Amino acid sequence: MNEMKPKHIVCAVRGGPESRDTVSRAIDLALAYQAQLTFLHILDAEFLEYAIIGPLSVVYRELNEMATFTMLILADRATRRGVEQVDYVLPEGSIHDELIRYVNETHAEMMIIGRPTRSPGRNVFKIDEFDDFVAELEREGNLMIIKVPAEA
Amino acid sequence: MSGRAYATLAAVLLVLLAGLIISFTHGTALAQESQPDGRSEMVFLVTGTIVDRQNLPVKNALVTLIDGATNETLAEGITQPDGRYAMNLDRPVPDQIIMHIERPHFHETDIELGKEAIQTLHLGQPVGVPEVVLARKVTPAFWIATLVFVGVLVLIATGTLHNTLAALLGMAVVLGVSYLGEPINNGLFIFYFQGALAYVDWNVIFLIMGMMMVIAVVERTGIFQWMAFMAYRTSGGRTWLLVIILMLITGIASAFLDNVTTMLLMTPISVQIALALGIMPLALIIPEVFASNVVGISTLIGTPTNILIGSYAHITFTDFLINLTPGVLMALLGLIIYSLLVYREDLSTDGGHGTSDVLLDKLAERAQITEPEHLRKAAWVGAGMLFLFVFGEHIHLIPAVTAIIGATALLIWIRPNIDEMIEAVDWTTLVFFIALFIIVGAVQEVGLISFIAELIGQAVGDNLLLAMLAVIWLSALLSTVIANIPFTAAMLPVVAFLTATIPGASNKALFFCLSVGSAMGGNGSLIGASANMVTAGIADRAGFPITYAYFFRKGFPALLITVGLATIWLLIRFLLLPS
Repeated sequence: MNEMKPKHIVCAVRGGPESRDTVSRAIDLALAYQAQLTFLHILDAEFLEYAIIGPLSVVYRELNEMATFTMLILADRATRRGVEQVDYVLPEGSIHDELIRYVNETHAEMMIIGRPTRSPGRNVFKIDEFDDFVAELEREGNLMIIKVPAEA
Repeated sequence: MSGRAYATLAAVLLVLLAGLIISFTHGTALAQESQPDGRSEMVFLVTGTIVDRQNLPVKNALVTLIDGATNETLAEGITQPDGRYAMNLDRPVPDQIIMHIERPHFHETDIELGKEAIQTLHLGQPVGVPEVVLARKVTPAFWIATLVFVGVLVLIATGTLHNTLAALLGMAVVLGVSYLGEPINNGLFIFYFQGALAYVDWNVIFLIMGMMMVIAVVERTGIFQWMAFMAYRTSGGRTWLLVIILMLITGIASAFLDNVTTMLLMTPISVQIALALGIMPLALIIPEVFASNVVGISTLIGTPTNILIGSYAHITFTDFLINLTPGVLMALLGLIIYSLLVYREDLSTDGGHGTSDVLLDKLAERAQITEPEHLRKAAWVGAGMLFLFVFGEHIHLIPAVTAIIGATALLIWIRPNIDEMIEAVDWTTLVFFIALFIIVGAVQEVGLISFIAELIGQAVGDNLLLAMLAVIWLSALLSTVIANIPFTAAMLPVVAFLTATIPGASNKALFFCLSVGSAMGGNGSLIGASANMVTAGIADRAGFPITYAYFFRKGFPALLITVGLATIWLLIRFLLLPS
């Protein structure tokens, strides 16, 4: 793993201030390895199941627009810092399932993912579930996963 | 015309003529049969009314007249929805008649008709029995229905089950217990299926359905995104002005479309504007959701709670507009000042360093009206619906019919993919309302609502001021922990009781108080309104989580300010101003 020089790095990110360290780390690594950097943001509208709302198609469209905008900001940041190849993907669905699916389909050698913090907020994974999930991702996708921060 | 055609036409005319002659002669014979033969007929008619302790009519009570000497049944009748009954004795009138009244969830009552009544009957004249008040009986069904109602509220508040699933579960339990439990123990009976359906307010269901279709067309046009971007342009970089304009846009939209849809469409674009300006997105979207909860009550169709209240209490679109708008404007002004103070640091941009022209250009690209023709047609139909909402009251045109006419007219004019439009109707929401009506009907049936009404009635007495304060503030505070739609549905009979018993309350002041409390109270906590939850969900997906504690810190003071100002208005309107 120490000899590894990934050509494609994926940064799984939600956006917002809590993702800042994760994004910075991903950009640092992409610069260090001269790798392509892909920001991965999963559109998850599970929260809407518990509200009385209208059609989900409209909601997903709005979430897509918002997420696209956020990814543009991140891509712009990476480009300004010198990363040559930057893009983003926005799959829809369950975060857990889509991450697994993405690592199976992509040829990325490395993924950067933010560790759940103790700050108030809705984390996708509980702290004690996170490490198990990362291990599962590494097995499924045969890639190296870097957690930010490294230790809880 | 050919000869054959003439023959066919002649045959048809002959048949019609024969039918006319038959119906005329038959009708005449019937009329002759029913004409009195000149002698006065003896009528042994007993009528009366049955009510409960809250003076509300008791329907479907079984009233039996019994011969006091022989215990023979003389006549039976069922009370109508207005509590009235009428029975004709078809046998000689005995000297002693007992009236036996029974109804599930009430104590059986026996009343002996007085001697004057018996004598009147003997003379062949109808008798009006004095109003009978039935006393409630607490049965196992009371506890089951109450538990179900509370359980559904808890499931909804904790998000353990989808709202609709929670309501369906509750409905299944109350009906299941009624049918499966009654053979075991009469005390388990709540109501039969037909009785349950009687509690469903179909005016509400069809009004919501119609508005969903109209909203489905509007939300696809991009109008919200365009308005939000125009707000940014108009503000000229002044974030305080941007907040005010966005709050106004959100509030006004919420008065005509539902709050959840409004926030679903405003939140993403507001987040993007904030990111482009380099300011904290919560500084825009939190004030917006507050405004949505406040201004939404200006019209009948602005909130589901207003639809419930308007249908139940026969409060019209214009009534809401006239009686609540001034108070809403006062509350909105207070809310704007509060929001600007609370978020003054977050709204300061760091000398323009945070503003990205590239991102703003991207925003301008997407903030377009995507279907201008549909928007134009929707505007015309919307104007027509508004006209019907306001002036249709004079011809007793109910709002549900207006919504159906408007939705159908829009669909015919636009001719969208009909499958998409049918999908646009959120059937899970409609099922939620149907199931909710039945659950609230169950607790009404077993007497829980009467019990609560009596408690509150005893607490406020005849004091309208006290009653108004109690309804507003209890509704506001309870709405922070209980979902406001089931809460409002349950409170309606309570408020109806208070309206009927408190002097001066007949102007429906207490229903307007319920409207204010249940909607503005939604600002007090994250779970106080569905619009809060979806806003938090979207913000969370953008990386800006809104916790319960955060929302409470910002929202509870907003609740106090807005409900306080609205209270002042309602007291002025209903206690000081002439009706």
